[in-house]
Amino acid sequence: MSPKKKQSTFGFVLRPMKRTGAQVWRSLIVGKPNTVLYPYQKLDLPPTYRGKHTLDFKRCIGCGNCVQICPNDCMWMEKLEDPELGKIERPGVDMGRCLFCGFCVEVCPTVAIHETVEFELADGDREKIKFGPKELRDDAYSDKIVEERQKRSVPVLDLDKCTGCEKCAGECPEICIAMMPIESVGKSKPEIALPKCTACGKCVVVCLEKALTMKDMYESYFDLPEPKIILVNCTGCSACAKACPADAIYMMDMPGTEKTLKDGKKGKPKKRAVFVLEKCVGCGRCFRACKFNSIEMPGVKK
Amino acid sequence: MWNNMGPQHPMTHGLWNLRIKVDGETIVDAEPEVGYLHRGIEKLCENRTYTQIIPIADRLCYGSSLTWSHLYCMTVEDLMGLEVPPRAEYIRVASIEMQRIASHLMWLAAYAADLGAMIGFIYTMRDREVFIDLLQALTGSRITYNFPRIGGVAHDIPPNFERDSLRACDYMEKKLKEYEDLFDGSKVFMMRNQGVGVFRKEDAMNLGVTGPPLRASGVKYDLRKDMPYSVYPEMDFEPATHPDCDCYARYRVRMDEMYESCKIIRQAVRKMPKGKWRAVAPRNAPAGTGLGRVEDPRGEGMMYVVGDGTDRPYRLKIRSPIFVTVSAAKKMLVGYKVADVVAIMGGLDMCIGEADR
Amino acid sequence: MNLYEFCYGIIHWLVDLINHLWYWLGNVFPWWFGDFFNAVGDLAASHGNIVVFTILLEVLVILIIAVINVLNFIWIDRKFMGRMFDFYGPYYVGFRIGGWLQNIADGIKLFVKEIITPAKADKIGFYLGPVIFVSSSFLALSTIPLGRNFGIATNPSGLGVPASALMAFAFFAIAPFAILISGWSSNNKYTLIGGMRSAAQMMSYEIPMLLTVASVFLLAGSFDFMDIVSAQHGIWFAIPLALGFVIFLVCLVAEVEIQPFDLPEAEAELVEGWTTEYSGMRFGFFMMTSYLRGYIGGALATALFLGGWHGPALIPEPIWFLIKAYIVFVVIEWMRWSTPRVRVDQLLNIGWNRLMPLAMLNLLIAASMKTMGWF
Repeated sequence: MSPKKKQSTFGFVLRPMKRTGAQVWRSLIVGKPNTVLYPYQKLDLPPTYRGKHTLDFKRCIGCGNCVQICPNDCMWMEKLEDPELGKIERPGVDMGRCLFCGFCVEVCPTVAIHETVEFELADGDREKIKFGPKELRDDAYSDKIVEERQKRSVPVLDLDKCTGCEKCAGECPEICIAMMPIESVGKSKPEIALPKCTACGKCVVVCLEKALTMKDMYESYFDLPEPKIILVNCTGCSACAKACPADAIYMMDMPGTEKTLKDGKKGKPKKRAVFVLEKCVGCGRCFRACKFNSIEMPGVKK
Repeated sequence: MWNNMGPQHPMTHGLWNLRIKVDGETIVDAEPEVGYLHRGIEKLCENRTYTQIIPIADRLCYGSSLTWSHLYCMTVEDLMGLEVPPRAEYIRVASIEMQRIASHLMWLAAYAADLGAMIGFIYTMRDREVFIDLLQALTGSRITYNFPRIGGVAHDIPPNFERDSLRACDYMEKKLKEYEDLFDGSKVFMMRNQGVGVFRKEDAMNLGVTGPPLRASGVKYDLRKDMPYSVYPEMDFEPATHPDCDCYARYRVRMDEMYESCKIIRQAVRKMPKGKWRAVAPRNAPAGTGLGRVEDPRGEGMMYVVGDGTDRPYRLKIRSPIFVTVSAAKKMLVGYKVADVVAIMGGLDMCIGEADR
Repeated sequence: MNLYEFCYGIIHWLVDLINHLWYWLGNVFPWWFGDFFNAVGDLAASHGNIVVFTILLEVLVILIIAVINVLNFIWIDRKFMGRMFDFYGPYYVGFRIGGWLQNIADGIKLFVKEIITPAKADKIGFYLGPVIFVSSSFLALSTIPLGRNFGIATNPSGLGVPASALMAFAFFAIAPFAILISGWSSNNKYTLIGGMRSAAQMMSYEIPMLLTVASVFLLAGSFDFMDIVSAQHGIWFAIPLALGFVIFLVCLVAEVEIQPFDLPEAEAELVEGWTTEYSGMRFGFFMMTSYLRGYIGGALATALFLGGWHGPALIPEPIWFLIKAYIVFVVIEWMRWSTPRVRVDQLLNIGWNRLMPLAMLNLLIAASMKTMGWF
């Protein structure tokens, strides 16, 4: 129990008092206290802080990756009419459910969605904090910040222009271009192994049809699912090509499948879908658009 | 007659019930009841991809959330057989030790406030802000960070991180001396804590208690030294123990752990190699199992994941240290006064989020 | 001229002013109407009537002084605590004058709250508990003179009542009684426990306090505040009776229920202790009385140990008294926020086993000083 002799009591109660007294000296006489008079003074937040989202309409391709990766189902895609961009689909965020985790920012293939430092979002009405794409729109935000995601230049193929001449495969010094035959079409298309590409640009220069262009693409750290076509089921309806936001699907004619019509003439050949997988962002819209089960994409919900 | 302390109670941190049987002022029997905060996390994880579970693992124990998301990423990396780049390991260790200091400071704040010293609450929360600001600059958020990823960390360290963390460590060591004056130097604090809640070494080992309560009973067992993971083999520190088995020993062990964490942060930040901070993890996990064990600020945390070839886990099992320590409450409480319940249960640092999952 | 004569003069002047009306009315109306008004005027101007109103005016004076001091104390408490905790105290309340108006804001908030009486509570006890608590504290305050000419409880000659210090302590000690009544009549077993603990704590710390005060009475030679303070003109009693001063401060902290001894109010298992069932301004009464008793304790410590109103003649005497009382309060506040709470059995142990022998020792020291003729 406590020996309440004069010395020990003084000693043991005075030691904390010395500290609190020093604190009063520091905050009253020598300096200022540690707090800020919110809302008259506010603290500066670091740029990595995750607050309200910002959407760049021009960069966004409407793929919906952000909607899929959100752990709490806070986002949705909204169909809009924009005077410049036409009929587009852009995401909206429900801040009432948002975890502010930042996954949507990380998975976006074109870095169109950012998280700003604005955190004062409270409102009395729950409907008011469901922000649609128009409320999140800020096309100039990307110019104001330092971009963190790494960019690299890669050659991107436009399959409509490619003739299959194989000049790019011969020119590549790293031998990362392989000409793969397209089944039932008869042509072959170049497939670029992106990990080996050094962006030297020789394949772009040598292509006569200008089918290859150097584009800046953002690095993705996520292993995104890849679609595979089941050729038997493909009817050539081109629903997948219309649905793809990244222009990675081309419809090509399959020679030898023309039907003879009643009056003896040859009809049009059937088409099949061809994927250019370097452009694919793994959103799964083709998988959802195909009604004939001819696309296989494991891991993506219908 | 059984008396209920909780579940709605100003003293209990988190949502749990303590039923005690009193004889006058002395406690004769005690029975803790947890489960009021069950959120079904293990079931939630079966419906989400491996990446989407990381923010959920953060919210297991909101007091020290980096530990749990790091543990989850370690477990899945064990399942997938993935190699993490060394820079990512050093960043992880530095941030985990900062999180450990922040968690211990929050424990000290709640403990001091329960005992009546509001000054302890305010000072420790103020000093915790230093580390929370560092982690905010690093990860982007203050409490649930969502920073480790499967294969590394989310992004690189911000500029001036090394300078700021070294300054924070110096500041913390100065403040720890101040806390010694404020708590160890106060006769009233010592009266409330010494000789209270004695928990013998044999009982601690038999009941499976880990973490500071075990080390305060004299057992030198720290997962960072005995089964090292990440880059802890290259760090030079000593696990903190104390020979008395009472509440004062548990307090002292946590204060010493904060000193050691400062040392580890200094070494991690200075030795950080250059390079990549993230490896791309495959989307589908192979069919198999993965196990991860980590030294949480509250004890030993463990996760066990069963993969089945798809991108969602088949089962995720979480072992929480507080669940085990709470069940040891009876041994610690019997024979002491009702007014000691605050000191004893406060000394165990209960974060009910991880006990109830 | 002392306070009594000052108030008498004011009332006399006021009565003369009003009597102009009565006598004029007496002149206007003839017959017995006029006689009636004249008689009223004479009654108003009589000595007994003026004495009654003087006493009422003095009561008003003491209420105003007490309330203003209590508000100041609450303000100082919050600002000082704020700076100790590294934040500003109340800052912008209406005007940017440092947040003194926060007290008014808190008072208005308490007034507009609903006053709930528990259904099975004992109505008379529930109502009378705060009333006894507050009124006994004000009574204790009235016996303490703030200056040579500023005593409030005085008899018509303007001198203080005999044995005023004894009266102050007697009134101060009614509090455990009121606490027991409040705790019991709330019909709640936890408030009952809290009330009993509080009463036990107060009673066990009364004894060392009264023993210490007895040593002061011994040195001063009388029970009267005026005599005690004048006996300190050479040296304050805090210096020879340093041990007694420390014991008195510790007992004061335990009486007023300030940390580290505030177990009945802020215990983890009893949510607010014996005041749990009170709401609205009744709760405000308890809070105000807590600070009022702190002020009374500070005033008693000043009058008994720190020389009362003695000081350089630049500042009027009541202001010196108040300055010393405020300094004692600031030191108590400093101690309050630096230490954790003491457990209830350790508290009673300190009171009976440690403080009482020390208080006896102090009494021995005082007796030996008196016999050696130093006082």
